[in-house]
Amino acid sequence: MKKIMSILTLGILLLLTACSGSNTTSKSSAEDTKTKSGEKQVVTFWHSMSGAGQETLDSIVKDFNHSQNKIQVNAEFQGTYDEALTKFNAVAGTNSAPTMIQTFEIGTKSMINSGNIIPIQEFVDKDHYDMSGLEKNITNYYSLDGKFYSMPFNSSTPVMYYNKDAFKMAGLDPDKAPATFEEVETAAKAITKSNPDMKGFALQAYGWLWEQLLANQGALLLNKDNGRTDTPTKIGWNEEEGKSIFNWVKQMVDDDTFANYGTNGDNMIAGFLSGDVAMFLQSSASARDVIDNAPFDVGIAFLPHPEDKERQGVVIGGASLWMIDGKPKAESQAAWEFMKYLQKPEVQAKWHVGTGYFAINPAAYDEKVVKDAWAEKPQLQVTVDQLQSTKPSYATQGALMDMLPEGRKIMETALETVFNGGDVDKSYKTAVQQFNEAIKQANKARGK
Amino acid sequence: MMLSMRKKIVFYVLLIISALLLAGPAIMAIVMSFMTNQDILTGRLPTAFTIDNYIAAFDRLPLLQFLFNSLIVSIVIMLGQLILSSLAAYAFVFLEFKGRDFLFYLFIATMMVPFEASVIPNFHIIRDLNWIDTYAGLTVPFFATTFGTFLLRQNFKQIPKELREASLIAGMGDFKFFLTVVLPVSRTSLVTLGIYGFLTSWNMYLWPLLASTNDTVRTIQIGLKQLQTQEQLNQWGVIMAGAVIVIIPTLILLFLGQKKLQKGLTEGAVK
Amino acid sequence: MSMIYPTIETNETYLHQAERVKRQNQMKSFLKGMLFLLPSIILFSVFVFYPMFKTIYLSFFLTNAQGATTVFTGWDNYKALFVDPIFIKSVKNTFLFVFYTVPPTVIISLILAVIANEKLKGIGFFRTVFSSTMGVSVAAASVFWLYLFNPTMGLLNKVLETSGLDAIEWLTDPKWALIAVSATTIWMNIGFTFLILLGGLQSIDSSLYESADIEGSGYFYKLRRITIPMLSPTFFFVITVSIINTFQTFGQIDILTQGGPANGTNLIVYSIYREAFVNYQFGAASAQAVVLFILILLMTALQFKLVERKVHYQ
Repeated sequence: MKKIMSILTLGILLLLTACSGSNTTSKSSAEDTKTKSGEKQVVTFWHSMSGAGQETLDSIVKDFNHSQNKIQVNAEFQGTYDEALTKFNAVAGTNSAPTMIQTFEIGTKSMINSGNIIPIQEFVDKDHYDMSGLEKNITNYYSLDGKFYSMPFNSSTPVMYYNKDAFKMAGLDPDKAPATFEEVETAAKAITKSNPDMKGFALQAYGWLWEQLLANQGALLLNKDNGRTDTPTKIGWNEEEGKSIFNWVKQMVDDDTFANYGTNGDNMIAGFLSGDVAMFLQSSASARDVIDNAPFDVGIAFLPHPEDKERQGVVIGGASLWMIDGKPKAESQAAWEFMKYLQKPEVQAKWHVGTGYFAINPAAYDEKVVKDAWAEKPQLQVTVDQLQSTKPSYATQGALMDMLPEGRKIMETALETVFNGGDVDKSYKTAVQQFNEAIKQANKARGK
Repeated sequence: MMLSMRKKIVFYVLLIISALLLAGPAIMAIVMSFMTNQDILTGRLPTAFTIDNYIAAFDRLPLLQFLFNSLIVSIVIMLGQLILSSLAAYAFVFLEFKGRDFLFYLFIATMMVPFEASVIPNFHIIRDLNWIDTYAGLTVPFFATTFGTFLLRQNFKQIPKELREASLIAGMGDFKFFLTVVLPVSRTSLVTLGIYGFLTSWNMYLWPLLASTNDTVRTIQIGLKQLQTQEQLNQWGVIMAGAVIVIIPTLILLFLGQKKLQKGLTEGAVK
Repeated sequence: MSMIYPTIETNETYLHQAERVKRQNQMKSFLKGMLFLLPSIILFSVFVFYPMFKTIYLSFFLTNAQGATTVFTGWDNYKALFVDPIFIKSVKNTFLFVFYTVPPTVIISLILAVIANEKLKGIGFFRTVFSSTMGVSVAAASVFWLYLFNPTMGLLNKVLETSGLDAIEWLTDPKWALIAVSATTIWMNIGFTFLILLGGLQSIDSSLYESADIEGSGYFYKLRRITIPMLSPTFFFVITVSIINTFQTFGQIDILTQGGPANGTNLIVYSIYREAFVNYQFGAASAQAVVLFILILLMTALQFKLVERKVHYQ
């Protein structure tokens, strides 16, 4: 017994040392491959694309690595945008920091504030790269005082999806989607009346959608021109603009034509596909998936707006690519080459068709893959039309501030309260108060 | 004591119903992982059997690498916990010194520090030690465990003090006594703690995600998360296939070690 | 005089020496103890105590997104917490969640342990199944239940509908969301609790039952009079560990509800995660962490004070 035990302990100790040993060896061998692959410059690219997005992205990265023999891009998943950003903030300035990172649009201001990035503009200038070829409505968001801080990448806007078969059943014109809040309400009633098992409309409790419905009315999210001219000090919308969205939803909740899926977009799409709800708002990036999986005819329409307000258009959503400071010049330059590669029409065409995100480079829409896809699914084009018909203004350019992620959560809570029969005035008032408080707190934390 | 036939039937019915209810979610996941996406979306019973979901899961991510990493990480944490907590438990039971009780309560208090709350300072430490993307970063922070120390302490207390006295007369030092007497006597508890440590390390998510930036040391739980999408429609079949891959190794371990685990945990809890 | 003096002196030296030897021995045993404890102490210091102190320190500051302190605010972060309706709600939710989760887990596990303790053919198989949820990770279990709760495809609503009942919005209705998350948690915790309770049952002296049988006591009488009292130390352990674990629940919330609907399932740990990872308010997050730590400490101390006295030790 004694022997067995001592052998065991010895074994444990050996294993431990072996493990710590293999640690160092595996690390150095990783470094070896870095240098061995040699003259190849390694670019570390942190991203937050999982599922289908990751599949397409990985394949694009693979194409790039095969297209030349100087640069090796390693695309590495880092969890959600929030998790990736927290992690980046912690490792910024150390060896573990990546060469480039993908961050969501509302992280733009905190990235700039962090001081750990090189504005893309520097590379654009040095390279005389022409950014004007890119989609104007997308570059509008990411340029600040005429300067590009990051390279636009996966971009989408919200659109309204509707079930054409359900529209027919309810005696509505399936080719003319409701355009205003009021028309949506009426259509929702007609649908629920024709089929009591189907709700008319669903709105995911998603702060991004709320921001879009606000921008579509021409309202600002933050004062100081949405934070584009100075640091915001409070909210930018007025009560009528903000409340109209809540009242609209409340009306449908009271009519019993509203389907509540909370914050879960995936469940909402599943409900739409199985005929539980006839209309919903969602990112255009879902378009391909929805059309492919629906056993009925899917219509895609512009985002609705209140009757008494003119449609202003949508703000770009999604994420962009950032160059990280403090890396060797050659490494950053290699990352820049990769960024430029991503903007090529054929790459963007693959991206657009593979994921449903927009092509940053409109020339991609002339590529054959896109034309084929559009011929098969003409609805896809609506998403692009909506983006291109957007009226440029501070409202549709989108807001910039570091507290926006928190702001979204606040609006989501308020929306969920109303979905569950809560009082509009009270939830709205609380939300505005918390939103302003968050702005104040963020300004204070920056020490300004 | 023989049970009457009627009683037996009642118990079997109860056992079967509970087993079905408890295993239900896992059975559902296994069935779904072999269903086509259309069947899942429309919510009907499976019409076709397919292994496409598994092929897709393995195709999309280096799952074998993830599984291997999980195995390494779990085994190293398990061994680390066994060594550290048996040493500490020995001190708490067999050595008498000033401040022992205070230290013991200090140990107990660490159980109450929620890990998620201290995750960011911990991450900074790993970063400063240059341990990001190493097995060390994934394992060393978990070597010291109050639960393990507590469990083994309860077990060591069962060992008669006379044994130590006898060993002292024979001129046996503490470390020798620890290796040759205490550890062999407490085999069951050690196995228990080992299995428990392995299971909990296998199931960690937030820490491995933070402490690794690329696939070289990533663990399987993160792979499961990567199969879920954000703006596209989830492919439930593939996700369930991933979940099944994740739970199979731990279930096997549990089936093999269940008896020992139960015995050891009880000793820690009861006495 | 001179006769007495030296004697006293020797006496004193003797005492001194004895004291010294004693102290030396003390020192030696202290060092030895430290030697055994050192690895644990070092790791706890680095990965538990240091972060804890750092957290306490941070809780008095505002920070930027990188986590560096910017403005000293004193007790402001704490004061803000106690008037913040979201935080107050998360504290309330946490207690409710413990209440919804711990008692049902213990009761269900006890029932399972009792029926699995009978000497029947194939009982090993059932024991294995009952303990199996212990081997299912939080990430996998949450995915299972996310699907079960799915409003359209989910099995639970399918069952409700086929039995003629209304479908329930499990994760989006504030009335149900916390219960749904609790159900998931109960399922996940049953494996561990069952194993321990079963072990407790098996270590009860069988002669107690035999003498009860002689007296002709019924099944439930034995359960109430012998099993439950004899199990009390096991209960105490299981309940203490469960409460501490439940207070620290994170994974299932993140995957199932992300704290929604309208903060209905926002527990303290999730609220801390959100403050730190989404809002970058490390000061506020730290203050919440300190409050959580104190809450757990108080709960545990209370338990030891109130309950342990009543525990029946063999």
